[in-house]
Amino acid sequence: MRRLVLFVMLIAAMMLVACSAPEPTKAPAPTAAPAQPTKAPEPTKAPAATTAPAATAAPAQPTKAPEPTKAAAATFDWKQRAGDTLVLYLPQHPWTNAIQPFFPDFEKQTGIKLEVQTFAEAQLRDKVLIALQAKSSEFDFWMSLKSREGLKYYRANYYELLDKYLADPKLTPPDYNVKDFAGGPFGGEKFENKLTGIPIIIEGPVVFYRKDLFDAAKIPAMKKIEDIETAAAACMKANPGITGVTLRGDPNAIAYTFGPFMRAFGVNYRDANGKSQLSSPNGLKAVEYYTKLAREYGPPGVVTYSFAQSSALFGGGNACMEIESSNELSTIIDPKSSKVIGKVGVMPYPPGPGGDVPTVLQWGVSINANSKKKEAAWLFTMWATSQEMQTKLQLKGIASPRSSSWDSADWKAQLAGDALRAEWAAAVKYVAEKGSGEVGPPAIEQPAARKIMGDALDAVILGTKSAADAMKAADAELDKVER
Amino acid sequence: MSGAKPRESWLSTTDRLAPLLMLAPATIFTLLMIGFPFVYAGYLSLHKLTLGSPTPPVFIGLDNFIKALDDPVFWTALRVNLFLYAVGLILELVLGTYIGILLGQQLRGVAIARVLAVFPAVIPSVAIGLVFVQMFDPAQGLFNFALRAFGQRPLAWLAAPNTVLQSILLVEVWQWTPFIALIVMGAMQTLPTEPYEAAVIDGASGFQILRYLTLPMLRPAIVVAAMLRTVDLMRIFDSVYIMTQGGPINSSMTLNVYAFTQGFLFSQFGYASAIMLVLLGLTVIASASLGALRRRSGV
Repeated sequence: MRRLVLFVMLIAAMMLVACSAPEPTKAPAPTAAPAQPTKAPEPTKAPAATTAPAATAAPAQPTKAPEPTKAAAATFDWKQRAGDTLVLYLPQHPWTNAIQPFFPDFEKQTGIKLEVQTFAEAQLRDKVLIALQAKSSEFDFWMSLKSREGLKYYRANYYELLDKYLADPKLTPPDYNVKDFAGGPFGGEKFENKLTGIPIIIEGPVVFYRKDLFDAAKIPAMKKIEDIETAAAACMKANPGITGVTLRGDPNAIAYTFGPFMRAFGVNYRDANGKSQLSSPNGLKAVEYYTKLAREYGPPGVVTYSFAQSSALFGGGNACMEIESSNELSTIIDPKSSKVIGKVGVMPYPPGPGGDVPTVLQWGVSINANSKKKEAAWLFTMWATSQEMQTKLQLKGIASPRSSSWDSADWKAQLAGDALRAEWAAAVKYVAEKGSGEVGPPAIEQPAARKIMGDALDAVILGTKSAADAMKAADAELDKVER
Repeated sequence: MSGAKPRESWLSTTDRLAPLLMLAPATIFTLLMIGFPFVYAGYLSLHKLTLGSPTPPVFIGLDNFIKALDDPVFWTALRVNLFLYAVGLILELVLGTYIGILLGQQLRGVAIARVLAVFPAVIPSVAIGLVFVQMFDPAQGLFNFALRAFGQRPLAWLAAPNTVLQSILLVEVWQWTPFIALIVMGAMQTLPTEPYEAAVIDGASGFQILRYLTLPMLRPAIVVAAMLRTVDLMRIFDSVYIMTQGGPINSSMTLNVYAFTQGFLFSQFGYASAIMLVLLGLTVIASASLGALRRRSGV
């Protein structure tokens, strides 16, 4: 008996030690994800046998040193920083997984040694911020989400500005072709017209829909933004119990899918004077439309929804439409869980009465302003974002920010005979070419601004406040946030 | 001979210093590990420090604390914190004591129940939170599936301000009640048998035995369990952070989650430190009152 008491006490003591501090480093729940999914579509996922032959990834080609298209490129000195060691901080991310196998080629080509450390995305953000704050040179190169932290880091001089490197023929290979980058993603890496990084992958919110249900209920193609509601209503009528449209309601994540609605109704988050526009007449139209979709046609509990919940619902066959990141395609048609393989269509948001500007999100790579090996880090950037490398990664399912990757013969061959993949490619390309990089209301403290807006939208969805009251209060808050 | 004296005094000095020397490493380590963060949090709470801002910390006196008084979310978090603490503790103690007394009986199958009771407490809260998030999902979760199967109206669980706290409490109570039951059961095993024999001879009813014998004798164990749970419930973080991050619209925001949000999401480290110090103060007050209760009742 006494032993049992001792055992219980021991367990209690262990609990006390184990629970002695909340660990901010614990992986956040799916709903805590930042306002962007970080999964890239993987063309390697084979669709069901009923569809056209699977678009399988091109077998890893034997890599060879880049073959310069211009004679001048042959003289470019890749070995100029041989002997340097670079420290890369990268998130667990499809781009990281896709490019890492090529690192030995880079080391051979340049004589620069790479030390790679990968972290979960949220932990990477915390670790990098604390190192940057301490002016540490512990790492040289990292992946940074400019739409979330760019302005703040730029103002704090954390980014090495890259314009002078790009203009230096000694450091930038002549065949780099910077004009090949899509305007939106490349512009998203600039602040006050200064270049802080180079884009590596693009994504944007799009509309996934059930072709089979649309055909059965004779729902016409969605031509304008109002058609989303009409289609959701018709689809729910024809299929009792189904969710009309699943979209984001999680306050930290909602900005990503809500943003294009604002612009579709003809208004930006802020006017030219920086005043928040949520409670402007057009802003309220966008708010009312989005919250109505969520409340009347969305899933119960939509205020907790982000990409994981939405894709589980849609992929499980329980929703007519899903408004989510283009990157969610691989989850939606994952053979392990999907019940909708061969039934899905994908399109960009239909245009609204006030215009048609989708959201495009890009991840970029940047150099630590306190790095001691900036030139070596720049050479690595040149190699990792070259036309050749980004096209190689595109074939592995990384949506490239370079136009040439989308026009390459290899990519077109991969699309041939796969209608869904071709639709997806067209939607991503559309988003990349027309999109704005503005995900949340412009602010230095982007996460705070997004949460203010997200909480206000949720109050309207839950019916605790009217749209006008909630947005007026949110505008007042957002006008106080430092820009 | 003459050299022996100083040698003796040297010895006695060593004898006097030995315990101090042996304690020194642990003492210094503890001071550094607990004292430094505490002092640093105090320093930060008096400054405006925004991570990622080019300006160094600015001394602002008590402004962070004054800001908290004006911050509606802070008051919401305080209310949620106290609600979860009070209701959670009462539920866990009452249920835990009851189940603990049951587990202390010689019933059939009780051995299995005793083993099962250990499980919820040793599974990491993060894993539990992730599983419950799936089960609570209004559209795809197990709970609503079960409600519908029995013809009941499905609930929004974590997704509505009026049910989110009850849902969190459900998880907390499920996880920690068995732990309290184990402590109570352990105490049950050590109770003397004589008072019970005397009570039975005097003709006491089952309820009287429970009311006048068992519960008073279990009080020390229950108070220990309450102390342990007080510190935990006040600092509740992981399950709330995993399941709701304080939502929807801040209706499940606790002080700990709010401080984390302000610090790591909004980069306001000074303000976050001030909130944490308020929470620390509350936890100390709650523990101290329980300690006083313990001393007063001669436990």
